[in-house]
Amino acid sequence: MWKVYKYTLLDLARNRFALGYAFLLLLVSLGLFLLEGDDTKALISLTQVVLALTPLLALVFTIIYFYNQYEFTVLLAVQPLRRQAILRAQFLAITTALVVSFLFGVGLPVIAWTSNAIGWTLLLTGTALTAVFCALGISIAVRQRDRAKAVGVGLVTWVLMVLVYDSLLLWLLFTFSEYPIEPVIVPLAALNPIDLSRILIMLKIDLAALLGYTGAVYQHFFGSFGGMVVSFLALLLWTVLPAWGAVRAFVRKDL
Amino acid sequence: MNRIAFQNLGKRYGKQWALRGVSAAFAEGEVVMVIGPNGSGKTTLIKCLLGLVRSTEGSIAVNGTVIGTDPSYRAAIGYMPQLAEFPKELTVEQLLRMMNDIRGARSGSTDDRLIASLGVDALLDKRISNLSGGMRQKVSAVLAFRYRPNILVLDEPTAGLDPISAGTLLEAVLHARRNGATVLITSHIMEEVQRLGDRVAYLQDGLLRFALPPETITEVTGESVLSIALPKYLAQLSPVHVEGL
Repeated sequence: MWKVYKYTLLDLARNRFALGYAFLLLLVSLGLFLLEGDDTKALISLTQVVLALTPLLALVFTIIYFYNQYEFTVLLAVQPLRRQAILRAQFLAITTALVVSFLFGVGLPVIAWTSNAIGWTLLLTGTALTAVFCALGISIAVRQRDRAKAVGVGLVTWVLMVLVYDSLLLWLLFTFSEYPIEPVIVPLAALNPIDLSRILIMLKIDLAALLGYTGAVYQHFFGSFGGMVVSFLALLLWTVLPAWGAVRAFVRKDL
Repeated sequence: MNRIAFQNLGKRYGKQWALRGVSAAFAEGEVVMVIGPNGSGKTTLIKCLLGLVRSTEGSIAVNGTVIGTDPSYRAAIGYMPQLAEFPKELTVEQLLRMMNDIRGARSGSTDDRLIASLGVDALLDKRISNLSGGMRQKVSAVLAFRYRPNILVLDEPTAGLDPISAGTLLEAVLHARRNGATVLITSHIMEEVQRLGDRVAYLQDGLLRFALPPETITEVTGESVLSIALPKYLAQLSPVHVEGL
């Protein structure tokens, strides 16, 4: 597996999109920190960018890279290699490349300007989100025969997680505002990796106080060490389960 | 000894059978030209052999062992696909090194003659993204022959190659045959089929209609050119006739 990983990573290291992504993030991060006088405000703005952009680019890049490599993947599948090893290697290489791009583009400015718990939480959750959406991307790509359809499914997945899911939670909060619905919202929010990441960062910025009872419930659960561990375990599950499903589907697939 | 043996092989996609009841055996040192109309099952047959497609029924034995989920049998196979695509940002040399690593090839154990004779040595420091389709085909040919496989599967190998390189490649096929390799080639070029093939395996609608020496077909029809003899021979067969297996 590591042989395929090594050379796939070498290919990705020179990939224009991966390099462009790193520099785009660097530009956005530098722009926010240089233009915004308050570093915490800049970090909040950067959080919004990271939470929207990182999942989208990880999803689309993974899908497109998988299809661009398809003929070569078939050639690898004809070598004395297990298919599991091929897909795992490709998934790990894509994730590594995008995480390195993220840490270069966002990590360096964040460490330079706000090397505190908030900054580190943003880097951790950004890294986790990259892995989650690479896993979702590879899972979608393996199951779809058509590239355009796979990109479409990826975009719908992103819209569902970034916009629709939040809207549904808000609707629930408003509709059942007279009931103590907050304890139900906490696990529901944790089911969406983007919401979960947002909550983790928000708690570090101490914005939870603005959310009243909901914020207190979030603070009570996610603010504790155990809550943090559970949250990152949830993000790990969001990575492992789609990746595992993708490998399973790939092993059974007619290439 | 049979290098490849198909036993009642069948593959179904949904309700459609792409291959049905294919039984044939190919010996060492034999060049088999797999031909047939588009959609006749040639690619599916090759993909079943390579482990890319799981058969619905029947079995395949390679070098005497029925293939299953263990990929180690593929160490004996060299494959040249019709469309050669590699990681675009790697150089040719890095690609060759990658395949060496995957194959566990030691220095000096590889057959590097095609690197020089196809002119791939001049491409070693070039990135794949800078190669033309024909150049990528040459790299693909090098990879197929490099690990001295005793089974070669070549899918339209001369498509996209210039005439001199195509000639070099066909010479390499004959050399591999002399060394005892079994070679399966799909081709639509009948001159190539007649010149190289020890047997012609003709597939139609997923059925293997016959696997005969080209001379048998030309003798039976009284035509010396295979491209003329083949339609006449097919016209003589009943729809379900299977011969020479």
